[in-house]
Amino acid sequence: MDKLLKDKKAILFFLLPAFLLFTLILFIPICQSVYYAFCDYDALSAPVFVGLKNFKRMLLDKTMKTALKNSLFFLIFSCVSQLIMGLILAGLLTNIKKGRNLFKNIIYLPCVLSSAALGLLWMFIFSPKLGINQLLAKIGIEGPLWLMSTDGFIILPMWVIAFVALWQYVGQSMMLYMAQISGIGSSLYEAAYIDGCGKVKAFRYITLPLIKPMVGTAMSLNAIGSLKFFDLIFNMTEGGPNHKTEVLATHLYTQGFEYFKYGYASAIGVVLLVLCLLTTFLINRVFKTENYEM
Amino acid sequence: MRRKKMALALAAVTAMGTIAVPTVASADDVQEITWMFWDDLEATEDLISLGYAEVIERFNEDYDGVYHVTAITTNLEEYYTKLNALVAAGDTPDVFIVSPGPNLDVYVDPGIAAPLDEYLEADGWKETFSSDAVFSQMTYDDSIYAVPLNIAAACVFYNTEMFENAGVEVPATWDEFLEVCQALQDAGYTPISISAGTAWCLSMVAGYLCDREGLDLDAVESGEISWVNDQTLAAAEKMVELSQYFQPTAAGDTNDVATAAFYNEEAAILIQGSWAIAQINGSNPDFEEKCGVFQFPAIEGGNDGDRIIAKSDSLAMSSATEYPEACIALMKYFTDDTAQKYTAEVGGKIPVTNVEYDADVAPAQLAYVMDIFSNASGTFGFYNESLATTEAGSMFDDEMVSIYLGDETPEEALQALEDWYNLEIR
Repeated sequence: MDKLLKDKKAILFFLLPAFLLFTLILFIPICQSVYYAFCDYDALSAPVFVGLKNFKRMLLDKTMKTALKNSLFFLIFSCVSQLIMGLILAGLLTNIKKGRNLFKNIIYLPCVLSSAALGLLWMFIFSPKLGINQLLAKIGIEGPLWLMSTDGFIILPMWVIAFVALWQYVGQSMMLYMAQISGIGSSLYEAAYIDGCGKVKAFRYITLPLIKPMVGTAMSLNAIGSLKFFDLIFNMTEGGPNHKTEVLATHLYTQGFEYFKYGYASAIGVVLLVLCLLTTFLINRVFKTENYEM
Repeated sequence: MRRKKMALALAAVTAMGTIAVPTVASADDVQEITWMFWDDLEATEDLISLGYAEVIERFNEDYDGVYHVTAITTNLEEYYTKLNALVAAGDTPDVFIVSPGPNLDVYVDPGIAAPLDEYLEADGWKETFSSDAVFSQMTYDDSIYAVPLNIAAACVFYNTEMFENAGVEVPATWDEFLEVCQALQDAGYTPISISAGTAWCLSMVAGYLCDREGLDLDAVESGEISWVNDQTLAAAEKMVELSQYFQPTAAGDTNDVATAAFYNEEAAILIQGSWAIAQINGSNPDFEEKCGVFQFPAIEGGNDGDRIIAKSDSLAMSSATEYPEACIALMKYFTDDTAQKYTAEVGGKIPVTNVEYDADVAPAQLAYVMDIFSNASGTFGFYNESLATTEAGSMFDDEMVSIYLGDETPEEALQALEDWYNLEIR
């Protein structure tokens, strides 16, 4: 192995496919998108450089403001709710002996299912003529218009979609936390229990500090995932009613593919990229920790 | 050494096996083309769509071994996004369905759609159409870029049984229309089923009201007059007045859901294009005899109340197609007597050719629509298809939905439209 690692040709041989793939599929398109963000470009004719016009246009775009608000809502909701729920579930499941794998699989299952199919399923469940409202009607309650109501700063459909996203992805956070918790040595807990520490205190003073690096990682993944959130919204509301559930990714899609405004869509993509980088940077700063031996 | 060579050969064979793309055997001389359409031909109950499926089948049978067409289908809501993605990727379908107006402009201006004049002039194809006027919305600089397949008019469909039970007659004026809606509501019915989730459905009503109020759309487009004017304000207020009679879920209901609510007898009125006849009769054939049609009411003291919104579905051909002859042959199948007779007799749409059809076997609603057409003093297009760009049309749709949802007052919404026009269009 050491001999292999000293062979520069071998290193190049193994790195080259990944480097080429990354360059061709990610790096070059990202650079192209950044360039197009400063162009008037319809994908049918050559791009024309227009400077900051696309970014200035965003300031007057009502849907962009709604999309930005909704994306930030998703970001905050997803980070907070998945952190809390993921930790609770991980804490509970690591402390039960019977049925741990069953519950772990049940909770993780939605993560591996198609978001498009799940979006349609939940759309039916929240449809006024099917699902929940029909059940509520049987006990004399008139259910709200889950995916159609437009009242409030954050409208009801956004809460509904955020709940569905939590249900779908909480399993991923839970698995990450469980992996980290299972790596904590039992001797630490045993010492704490001998000193009279209860389970809650052990969780607060041993588990939480030791899984802090994983909280940062899980939160970064949640944050990036929620900022580029697209599929559930597209399948549950298509951004409606009247663009009120649009997020940055759906707005980008509409501008690019519906109106041929690839320049403007790229500018939205750049905003999305900057938000992702900023959020990841902030989370990494907040959760910067030293590694402890567990 | 020999073992090494064998291993190498085996590895090569395995690698080739994994990367080899399965190919469908086809004769070299068969000209393969694609046709893109906005409905799922496998799942649809829409009679017009089923008719198109028959055309495709007939074409492939008749031209077996010569031409072959493959249908690319998607639902209406996603049609243009998917078509545009294909166009942007340089993979434009050989033949594709398109609405006239800015939707077609998008493909004509950059040269994606091919001019069809030479094909229309050859073999007397153009003479089979009922008049040259059917091409007016598809003509750019004296060249025709799409072939119409049928004509439809936006009308008011109503449930005759519910009207009878509520003791109301077909209204002729706006005030009578509101009285009818009130009487239907008092009788326990949902008066109107409409979709604001599919914004053009609501904006169609707004477009009718603007026209009835006498709005000069060309003057607004050019900036001669502002979007905020007496006619648009009055139209918007009338739409808000009417909205009290919409079903409670109108804000999010799609066009299909709202139409289904009508033919499933959950609402008494549906304001929709006559293309809905194929959907209504295809989904609930028993409802045909209960379904009446009347013209969108006039506004007393307003503009000409006999004008109707009319539109056609058209086929355009990609300028990049390898097989224009196959494309033209396919387009001719859509406009031949068999297809056009089907359009009227089964689909309930108005044919675009001189074909003679049996009015007795055609859906009852078609006769009502034909009456409306024959009494019409003129036609105009959907507002969202008559504005400068597809985005301008969407802006109009969205602002009308905003007014309906109460997010903006009519003044605010129209001012937003005016501001957007000044920024993007004028």
